[in-house]
Amino acid sequence: MTTAILEASSLTKTFGPTRALDGVRLSVAAGESVAIMGASGSGKTTLLHVLAGITAPDSGRVIFAPPTGVVDVTSLGERDRSRLRREQFGFVFQSGLLVPELTAIENVALALMLNGTGRGEAEHQASGWLTALGLAGLEDRRIGQLSGGQAQRVAIARAQVTGASVIFADEPTGALDSHTSTEVMDALLGSTVGQGHTLVVVTHNDEVAARCSRIIDMRDGRIVGERVPA
Amino acid sequence: MILRISWLLARPGRAGVATIALPLIAFATVTALLLVVIGGAQKFWGWSDDDGFIYQFLAMIALVLLVIPLSALGGAAARLSARRRDDRLATLRLLGATPATVTAITVLESTVVAVGGALGGVLLYLAAVPLVGLIPFRGEALGAGSVLLNPLLILAVVGGVALLAAVSAVLGLQRVLISPLGVRMRDNAPRQHWIRVVIAVAVIGGTYAAMGVVGAGLPLAVMMTVIGVGFGGTLAVLNLLGPWVVRLMGRIQLRRAKTPARLLSARGILESPKDAWRQVGGVAMTSFMAVFAGTGVGVMTAISGGSSADLELLYDIQTGVLITVIGSFLMVACSVGVNQAANILDRRDIYESLAKLGMPVETMERARRRTVMAPLFLTSLGSAAISALVLLPLAGAALIFAPGSVFLIIGVLAAGIALVWVGLLATRPVLERAARLG
Repeated sequence: MTTAILEASSLTKTFGPTRALDGVRLSVAAGESVAIMGASGSGKTTLLHVLAGITAPDSGRVIFAPPTGVVDVTSLGERDRSRLRREQFGFVFQSGLLVPELTAIENVALALMLNGTGRGEAEHQASGWLTALGLAGLEDRRIGQLSGGQAQRVAIARAQVTGASVIFADEPTGALDSHTSTEVMDALLGSTVGQGHTLVVVTHNDEVAARCSRIIDMRDGRIVGERVPA
Repeated sequence: MILRISWLLARPGRAGVATIALPLIAFATVTALLLVVIGGAQKFWGWSDDDGFIYQFLAMIALVLLVIPLSALGGAAARLSARRRDDRLATLRLLGATPATVTAITVLESTVVAVGGALGGVLLYLAAVPLVGLIPFRGEALGAGSVLLNPLLILAVVGGVALLAAVSAVLGLQRVLISPLGVRMRDNAPRQHWIRVVIAVAVIGGTYAAMGVVGAGLPLAVMMTVIGVGFGGTLAVLNLLGPWVVRLMGRIQLRRAKTPARLLSARGILESPKDAWRQVGGVAMTSFMAVFAGTGVGVMTAISGGSSADLELLYDIQTGVLITVIGSFLMVACSVGVNQAANILDRRDIYESLAKLGMPVETMERARRRTVMAPLFLTSLGSAAISALVLLPLAGAALIFAPGSVFLIIGVLAAGIALVWVGLLATRPVLERAARLG
């Protein structure tokens, strides 16, 4: 049996009168890709944020268990959660949210530099990832000079360059056309589960979800179904 | 309808209290400064002798020096108002509100904030009147009664500040409405042409040569004219040279950047050297003016031959310069605060995403601080150095004959830099809110 890299139990989270998470339990195995689906307001992004240590739940626990040791994410303070995200997790957001004044290579290298890697080495590794994702020759372009798909691949490189064991993606293809979406998902899956890493994706898109190994359906802050794509 | 929507939008947003407090403080400071200068000018206008004209002329220059940054501040405050309500205004646009409606709402809000700040400024001015009355001109204190303005005139100043804020808001909003992402989406960092340097060197060289003749037994009026023309010419050159120098500094910093904060700061400066310059250019010009006028007046005082009328005028010019320098620094500190708050709100999605990636707020703060302070140090010290250079024949003499005035200038410059630092620090809560998660 595959070991769980993320284990969430009895998660609750409320925002004012809204119960965003209502007793959620979820186990994510190392190396699998999980799609979280649901209507707007179903709690899927909140679940992703709680799993990633971005938001603290009101109650419940999230255990992160990489080969290096077990961490109770929910017991960590703000500073330690920041470090955990920097060192162990990678993130891909809907519109990339790259730093616009930095070049592609600097955006990717920034993630390594935050962990203390020297700039030269960081840019060397960043260049390798950009090449692997089909962006060779575009390293010195600013984000505004890249297409939406290219920018999203830079974001994937940024998420992967630190060797993150879990990648969280929030609507990674939400701002792209269907052809580019397919390309970006190819890149995302190839660079994560293709390398033995774990991927958790929040999406509205059935085609994106269908490419993952498991789909979790959410409604009103609860997991209401789980399926394996055909 | 516009009034009703504006009222609905006037509830606190996610950007926090600082975004409304900063423009309020800025407009209060500007109004108080304007009233103080007009109060002083009122006294000068009562003098009808030959020297009286010089005082009236210098008071007019001080007023003009205040009105220019005031309009820039108005534009920045309007941009901040727009950014503060960005999400709500965007929703209004989606609901079908025309750009004219959105403009009207933002201008209205900006103007209301300006009026609120201006009324606060009136209170500040009234509290300051007894102190301002103690400032000596022509050998005697101005007197509180002389600098106290007629209520109708105070009302006119408040109206003027509101009008200026409204006009600046309309102009400042053009960019926001055309491109909500502003300059951040620009494909290429702008370039600055090297011809600027050639022109600058020519003007500085010319001024240096002209200063050689000052002090060679010329009448005071001629000396003042030469110094005045040299001052104006070099000041204009600073504006031409500033963005180019800031860009050069940004490029050097980029090459040397080893940490995330330094990399972000260098790229932030290179994104728009003109904006980086505009933010601190006021301090650079004030530094230039402080050294130029301070040195010039110091030396002329020492060599004027002891004519008591000349000495009195020179001391008074020095007092006026000091007041203008303090006022200018206060205004720059306000501008930095307001501009920084607007910049943070412009980039709040980026700050939030960087926080999600695990970037500590301290790193973001260091990058932001460096983006403002590095050009500030460079331009203020550089301008002071250029000023001392063109005045080299006089600067050495000033150090010998009037060391007190030189140390006073250094002290005022240090205080100015500290004030900008405070303006920057005041916006840290805005950054913390922007980067706050969950």
